[in-house]
Amino acid sequence: MNRNLFSSSLKKGLAFGIVMILLVLIDFEAMSATMLSKLLGVNVIRGALPQVRFMVIFLVLYGMFVGWLTSSNEEKPAKKLVQALIAGLSVGIVVGLFDLVLIQLINTGTDVRTYLAALGPDSIKLFILEKGALSPLLHLGLFTSASLLGSALKILLKSKPVSGFFKSISTGYRSLQVKAQKHTPDWVKKYGKYLLFLLIGLSAFFLPRIWGSYNNYVVGLVGLYVILGIGLNIIVGLSGQLMLGFAAFFAMGAYSVALLNAPFPHGIMLGFWPSLLIGVLMAVLAAVLLGLPVMGMRGDYLAIVTLGFGEIIRILLKSDLLTAFTGGPRGIQDIKGPTLFGQPFSSDVDYTYIILVFMILAIFLYKRLERSRTGRAWLAIKEDTKVAQATGINIQNNKLLALCLGAAFAGLAGGIFAARNQFTGPNDHQLMVSMNILSILIVGGMNSIPGIILGAFTLKGLPEILREIENYRLLVFGGLLVLMMLSRPEGLWPSTRPDIEKDEGNKLKGDTAPGKGGPID
Amino acid sequence: MTDPIIQVKNVSKFFGGLTAVNQVDLEVPAKYIYSIIGPNGAGKTTLFNCISGFYFPEKGEILFHGDPIQGLSTNLVAWLGISRTYQNIRLFSNLTAVENILIGLHPNLKTNWFEAIVHTKRFQKEEGGSIKEALRLLDYVGLKGYGDFLAKNLPYGLQRRLEIGRALANQPKLLLLDEPTAGMNMNETAEATQFIKRLRDELGITIILIEHDMKVVMGISDRISVLDYGTKIAEGNAAEIQANPKVIEAYLGPGGVALSEKYKKQRLSYAQSH
Repeated sequence: MNRNLFSSSLKKGLAFGIVMILLVLIDFEAMSATMLSKLLGVNVIRGALPQVRFMVIFLVLYGMFVGWLTSSNEEKPAKKLVQALIAGLSVGIVVGLFDLVLIQLINTGTDVRTYLAALGPDSIKLFILEKGALSPLLHLGLFTSASLLGSALKILLKSKPVSGFFKSISTGYRSLQVKAQKHTPDWVKKYGKYLLFLLIGLSAFFLPRIWGSYNNYVVGLVGLYVILGIGLNIIVGLSGQLMLGFAAFFAMGAYSVALLNAPFPHGIMLGFWPSLLIGVLMAVLAAVLLGLPVMGMRGDYLAIVTLGFGEIIRILLKSDLLTAFTGGPRGIQDIKGPTLFGQPFSSDVDYTYIILVFMILAIFLYKRLERSRTGRAWLAIKEDTKVAQATGINIQNNKLLALCLGAAFAGLAGGIFAARNQFTGPNDHQLMVSMNILSILIVGGMNSIPGIILGAFTLKGLPEILREIENYRLLVFGGLLVLMMLSRPEGLWPSTRPDIEKDEGNKLKGDTAPGKGGPID
Repeated sequence: MTDPIIQVKNVSKFFGGLTAVNQVDLEVPAKYIYSIIGPNGAGKTTLFNCISGFYFPEKGEILFHGDPIQGLSTNLVAWLGISRTYQNIRLFSNLTAVENILIGLHPNLKTNWFEAIVHTKRFQKEEGGSIKEALRLLDYVGLKGYGDFLAKNLPYGLQRRLEIGRALANQPKLLLLDEPTAGMNMNETAEATQFIKRLRDELGITIILIEHDMKVVMGISDRISVLDYGTKIAEGNAAEIQANPKVIEAYLGPGGVALSEKYKKQRLSYAQSH
C-alpha cells in the first residue's frame, strides 16, 4: 500500500522532471519568466532575458504545482507531505542531472543553437540561476521545498476551517444576492436590462476611439472570430456535422470582396457593401455545392471530405492556372474599404464598429434560430439522426440549411477581414484557420454564446496581447486543449438547456395573478 | 369489423440469406390494440421497422388508409401519422424532456427559419402554442415537474413515458410501441398497461404493440398475432392464442403442448388441494 503510494509519486516526479527538461530545451522557461516579470511590473526589452529572481519565481511555481498535483486527496496530511517530498526530490534530481550537462556545455563553450535554436548560453545561465556548479543542489532544494509548499498549501486550503471559511463566504454572498434581488425596485427589474445594454453600447462606441489602433486590431480580430465561431457552431454544435474545411467559406467571402473591390487583377470596384453581400451569397453557393453530394455522410467521413474541400479551395486560389483570375500565391492587394453615406468609413475605429455591429447581428440571428423549430430540429439531428428523421424531420433539408447559414456567417467575416487587412491571399485561408475556429468552440463551449466569445478571446485575443507566447503558440494551444479535455470537457462556459417548463409555468402564473407585485414583508 | 387502418400484405424482408420476415399478413382495424408476440429473433421489430420506414421490405405491400407506404422515408411515414417508440429507449438524451416533445411536434409546425429570425406573428403564435401543447402532453404522460430535466437524467420508467409523449406529439393515428414495459417492475407494468389503454380510449389511437409480458398482452389486446422465425403462425384473440398448440410449441419447443398440459394439471391439482 505504502510502497504503491511512494512509487506513484516517484513516477509523477520523474515525469515532471522530464517535462521541465523539455521546457528548458525549447527555452520555454525563459519566456515564462519574462511573462512573470512583466506581470509583476518589471519590463523586459524584446529579445533580452529577465532577471534571475523571476526565474526563481517560475521554478518555485512549477514546484508548487508538482506538490499540489502529487498530494492525493484521499491521504492524510502527513502522507501528502511525504508524497510531495518524494515528487519534489525526484524532480530536483532529474533536473540536477540535467544541470550537470548544461554546466559542461557552458564550461566547454559549446553552442548548441545549431540543433536547439532557442537554447543559447545566456538562457542556460539564467536557468542554472547563474550559480555554475552549485546549481544542481540549488535546484534540488528549490524544487523540494516548493513541492512541500504546494502540498502544504493544498492541505491548508482543504482543511476544515479554511474551506469552511470559503463556504461561509459563498453562502453569505448567495444570501446577499437573494436579498438584493428581493429589494431591487421594480423599475430596475424592468429596465435594468436595457440600462445594461445602453452601457455596453456606449462603451462599445467610445472605447474604440480611446484605446488606440492596436487594441482595435485585437478586438476586431476577436469579433471576426466570434462571427466565424457562431457560423461553425450552427454547423457543428447545432446540426452535428463535423466540418474541418470552414476556412473555404471564409475564403469565398474574402476573395469575393477582394476581386470585386480591388484595382488589380480585375478593377471592377463594385464597392464594399455590394461585394460583401455577393461574398455571403458565394459562400452559401459553395455550401450548397459541397453539401448536396456529402449530405449522406457522417462523422469521420464528413470530416475528411470537408477537410479536403478546404484544402482544394486554398490550393485553387494559389494555383498558377488561376493566377490571372485570383492573383495567385501573391494574393490581392489594395482592397478598398467601405464607405458610409458617401464618406470613407474605413479607419481602424470604423472597422471595429462594423465588426461589433455584425457580431451582435450574428449573435441575434443565432439566438433566434436556436430557439425555433429549426434549431430544435438541428439539435435532434445531432443527437440521433435516425430517430430525428422518424419523428418527421427532413434530414437533408435541415442539414443543408445549417451548412448554408453557417457558411453565410463565414462569408461575412471573410469579406470584412479582407477589406480590413486591405489584402487577402491563400495563406489567410489555411487549414489552421479552420482548426482555430473549431478549437474556439471546443475551448469555449459549444452552443454557448458566452463560451464562443470567451474562446475567441482566449485563442485569438490573448496571443496577440501576450506577444511573448508567439513562438510557443502551438505548444500552449495543444497543452490548453489537453487540459480542457481533462478538466472541462464541455468548454470554459458550457451551454445549458433552457428551463422551458419553469419559465412558461411562471409566465402562466403571472397571467392569472396580474397584481402580485413585490413581497409584502 | 371496421375498416383496417393499416394492412400488411405478404411482406418479406431479407438480410443477406436470412429471411427476417417471411410473407406476413396483418390487418389492423381502427382503434384496436393489436399485439405482436413471439420468441426472441422472431422478426417482430423488423416488421415494425418495415412499417415505420426504417427498412424497405423486398416483397409485399404495406397500406396505410389504403395507400402504399412501403419504401417511404421515415420522416414521410411520421408525417402521415405513424409514430413509434423503440425497444431500447432512444430519446434525444442531452435535451430536456420538454424539448424532446417539442421536437416530436415538428411535423405539425409550419414556420420556417426565416420566419423564426424575423419573429413573424405566425411564428410567435405557433411557438407559443407548441410550448403550451408540449407542456400539456408532458402532463398527460405524467411528467409534470420533470420538464426541464435532461432526458438522460430521467428515471427509466419516465424515459419510457417521455418516448410515448414524443410519439404522441405527432398526433398519430397509428402508434407502434416496441416493448413499452420492458424492464419495469409489476406496479410500473400495471400502470403502463392502463396508460396504453387510456391512449386508445381517450385519444382514439390505433396501437400495435410488441410485448413479451403475457399479462400485458392478454390483458389489453383486442387481437394478437404470433410470429416465429419471421412467419406468422397464429392470429386471434387472447383465448384463441393461449389455446393454439403452434404457439405453445414456438415458445416451449417441440412437445411443448404436452408439457403445458402437464403443468396445467399440476397447477389444477395444487389449487384443488389447497
